[in-house]
Amino acid sequence: MKEPSSIQIGLKIPKDAEGILAYVHEVLELLKAQVTLDEDKIRKIKLILVELVTNSIKHSEDENASIEFTFNHPTLTIQKVDKGLQIEFAGDSEQIPFVELDRTIKVHLSESQPHHIKILDPYRFRFVDNYKEGISIDFLPEHFGLYIITLASDSFIYQHDPDLLENRFIVHLNL
Amino acid sequence: MNISKEKKGDILILTIEEKEANLSKSEHFKEMVLSEIAEGETKLIISFEKVEYLDSSFLGALVAILKNLLPLNGTLRITGLNADIKNLFELTRLDKIFILKDNLETALQDFK
Repeated sequence: MKEPSSIQIGLKIPKDAEGILAYVHEVLELLKAQVTLDEDKIRKIKLILVELVTNSIKHSEDENASIEFTFNHPTLTIQKVDKGLQIEFAGDSEQIPFVELDRTIKVHLSESQPHHIKILDPYRFRFVDNYKEGISIDFLPEHFGLYIITLASDSFIYQHDPDLLENRFIVHLNL
Repeated sequence: MNISKEKKGDILILTIEEKEANLSKSEHFKEMVLSEIAEGETKLIISFEKVEYLDSSFLGALVAILKNLLPLNGTLRITGLNADIKNLFELTRLDKIFILKDNLETALQDFK
């Protein structure tokens, strides 16, 4: 099968939750026509898309938010792009722009939503698995979206462009 | 959202009658189940046999329900998961926290 470096999907992100399932099915059909996907990858792409779209519906105020797809063998990249201010963490978490780089720190996306991130540059970080040592009901968050993307992907990065006021959630999945 | 309720002895069986268990329904689902717990229901089976996909909001609601049940020595069984949803529980390691059963019969047997 021909494996292009950029994938044309051309679908708008649904504006409400009722459109998510149809969107995911349509994207998968278009992807399957352009790259080879096994069952495991299809499952992971479904989870990633559901959570990226859910995140967009919940948090993005940008009417033109989009999800872009590219493929450079063997990696499928899925990016949610929207205009807006950078992520602001809750509580006493360190904030963007980071000063000290190449560290793993704990931040709170909300009071009940702790995440570990690896700082890559002042405006860019990678989500890391915060429950590697096992999961306990006492510390279980009630917001799982970004954690699910972290686990379903090979790499999940957030970056903010302060000049363009643009946020990118960048998901890499090795097919 | 559409949830059917059935009582078998002291066990309350809740079946999600929706294809999509997502953020537009998770809050209502959570409040509804928490109110059942507040009214004394502590043996619960939640069936997802009609559900095609479940998102993080709904997963969070299940966590909140379990957190409310445990101090009451309550019991929760989850059943009727399709392969995608089962995979989600395994990926998030929530299959180690929740007790998942293949079908209603095996879930009910667990209470005997």
